[in-house]
Amino acid sequence: MKSTQYTDKTLDHFRNPRNVGTLEGENVAVGRVGNPTCGDLMDIYIRVGDDDTIQDIKFQTFGCGSAVATSSMITELVQGMKLDDALKVSRGDVADALEGLPPIKMHCSNLAADALHEAIKNWREGVSPEDAKKTPGGTACHPIPAAVAEVEIKGLDAYEGKGLYRTLDHLDDVADERVVVLDTGDEAAQLAIDLTEHTGRVVLMTTGKEPSVSPAVRSALRLSDVKVLAEAQPLELLGEGELERIRVHDLNEDEEYELTADAFVVLE
Amino acid sequence: MTDGGNVKATDPGEALRSAGVVYADYQSAKPVDPRVVEAMLPYFTEKFGNAASLHGVGDVATQALEEARARVAAFFGADPREIVFTSGATEASNLAVAGYALRNRRKGDHVIISEAEHISVLTLGKYLEKQGFRVTRAPIDLYGRVNPKKLRARITDETILVSLQWASNEIGTVQPVAEIAEMLDGTGIALHSDAVAAEGLLPIDTSAVPVSLLSLSSNDLYGPRGIGALYVRKGVQVAPQLLGGGQERGLRSGSEDLAGIVGFAAAADIMAAEMPAEVERIRAIRDRLVERVLSEIPDVHLNGHPEQRLPNNAHFRFEAVEGEAMVLSLRDAGIAASTGSACSSKTLEPSHTLISCGLLHEEAHGSLEFTFGRWSRMEDVDRIMEALPGVIRRLRSLSPLYKTSAPAEP
Repeated sequence: MKSTQYTDKTLDHFRNPRNVGTLEGENVAVGRVGNPTCGDLMDIYIRVGDDDTIQDIKFQTFGCGSAVATSSMITELVQGMKLDDALKVSRGDVADALEGLPPIKMHCSNLAADALHEAIKNWREGVSPEDAKKTPGGTACHPIPAAVAEVEIKGLDAYEGKGLYRTLDHLDDVADERVVVLDTGDEAAQLAIDLTEHTGRVVLMTTGKEPSVSPAVRSALRLSDVKVLAEAQPLELLGEGELERIRVHDLNEDEEYELTADAFVVLE
Repeated sequence: MTDGGNVKATDPGEALRSAGVVYADYQSAKPVDPRVVEAMLPYFTEKFGNAASLHGVGDVATQALEEARARVAAFFGADPREIVFTSGATEASNLAVAGYALRNRRKGDHVIISEAEHISVLTLGKYLEKQGFRVTRAPIDLYGRVNPKKLRARITDETILVSLQWASNEIGTVQPVAEIAEMLDGTGIALHSDAVAAEGLLPIDTSAVPVSLLSLSSNDLYGPRGIGALYVRKGVQVAPQLLGGGQERGLRSGSEDLAGIVGFAAAADIMAAEMPAEVERIRAIRDRLVERVLSEIPDVHLNGHPEQRLPNNAHFRFEAVEGEAMVLSLRDAGIAASTGSACSSKTLEPSHTLISCGLLHEEAHGSLEFTFGRWSRMEDVDRIMEALPGVIRRLRSLSPLYKTSAPAEP
């Protein structure tokens, strides 16, 4: 079945999603699942009444057609339901309610049920919406287990002068290159911003959830063309003679991947 | 459609217009030009012979086959004896990459394949590894171009073959094929180029560029699908990958698809006559779309090379929006486009080309590709721009990743 061969009901929920948005105030909990890396991220907000029922439910989803449709569908399914009953709503129930999903898209129906269950769990454990959104639970899209994160980056010395920069006096040295700047504070972030004048690709890589910079630099970063890559631990520099790739540990998903890069800047 | 006994092919432009569809996915499939269909028709019913037969009906077929071969060869600046007809470009690439490596194994066991290659060639690389070859990937830059210096650095004494596409079917980036071909000329290392995406959009002249092997498809010149060719430079040896009765000088067995081959030749003739004007017309449509998308929609980037790109290709990425959701929404608006997002692929992996360009997975998921062709019109851009900004706004309003997503309800 082609991914576009959705049922009419799925297409309807994609075109006219129900209960889009967020909730604020009392008695609200959030479940966040997915990862933008995998192409989907889903937040389900619930407001829980005194009788332990779901009084109100909203969602926001970044993802494909079925990710949007399944999140919309589940909000309809569980509206007004007792939490214990809502916990019993399974992945299969969501797919059934949509009159079926293409096999390759079943992954997406997992997400919607998982997000709801996560929201209920967070409600019962008293996890605030802010904290819930900081710790996505995850369906991993790349089932490659990551090695234990080394703090020391392998290959730094080998690529000294061949793509590794400890200082960068002439920004034109990396013109039109893919530059990755390791987040070491304001100076590194400012350098990243300045570099966008010289190349179309600047990534600021940080092991944290956000770069460790002052508020002023943070807002400048947001307005700039710098791509912030959060929760990423560089493990090793790779390439034939010159730097070509950086092996990265995704701290959020606990997976490894390789990022293509021509220059890696680690300010001293 | 029948008309008083005469079969007439529908004009693709009219067909799309009456269906209300703006087709901007010419890279995936092109309609066959009705003039090509007309040229093919006699070869189904009247001139149906087998070129191998000794009777007169067979001679008519032989003559048509060799004439068509000469016309296809002429379009690519080749000698007719250098053209081997195949069932399409995938088969041509099999014959080129696997056929060359296996035939020339005694010279070495190392093959270099660029990271931008079409999936068919990448898959052949994996096949060769299983056959005991060493396969090295040549990296591409930010814009998807292979760096000749980096490619050169990967050449060893054992290298026998380099495979580098003429241009990317996906992001449209044009590769420095002529430069690499000159570099390899005389070294004994063969250069294979998959020219499919560039056909009909860039001049491809084997008399000017010393490539050894060239994968070609008929559909990319608005000829029928199911027919292609491999250009094999004189003196270059490949092992056949399809065995049988020894047609096509023993390199590709199986009775030739005469109607298809005649269609390929007719498509090449039309393209030779119309290409310069057609390319400029298509380029203007593409340029207009790029200009409008970049100026009218926030947080969007152009993927691929700003100048060294196919004139029909516009490849964008939109922040915080997923590709399949964009394609589905555009489909509702009667617009056919495509994406490199994982969710649209069978493997659930995003485009390898975009990742090799240095994009993060989340960025590759937000890609959207428009490719124009012979029946595209400037009005198509207006139709696209009537729909696209709203599609992006709506999907961003659903997305928790976009900075100004829907406000919370109290």
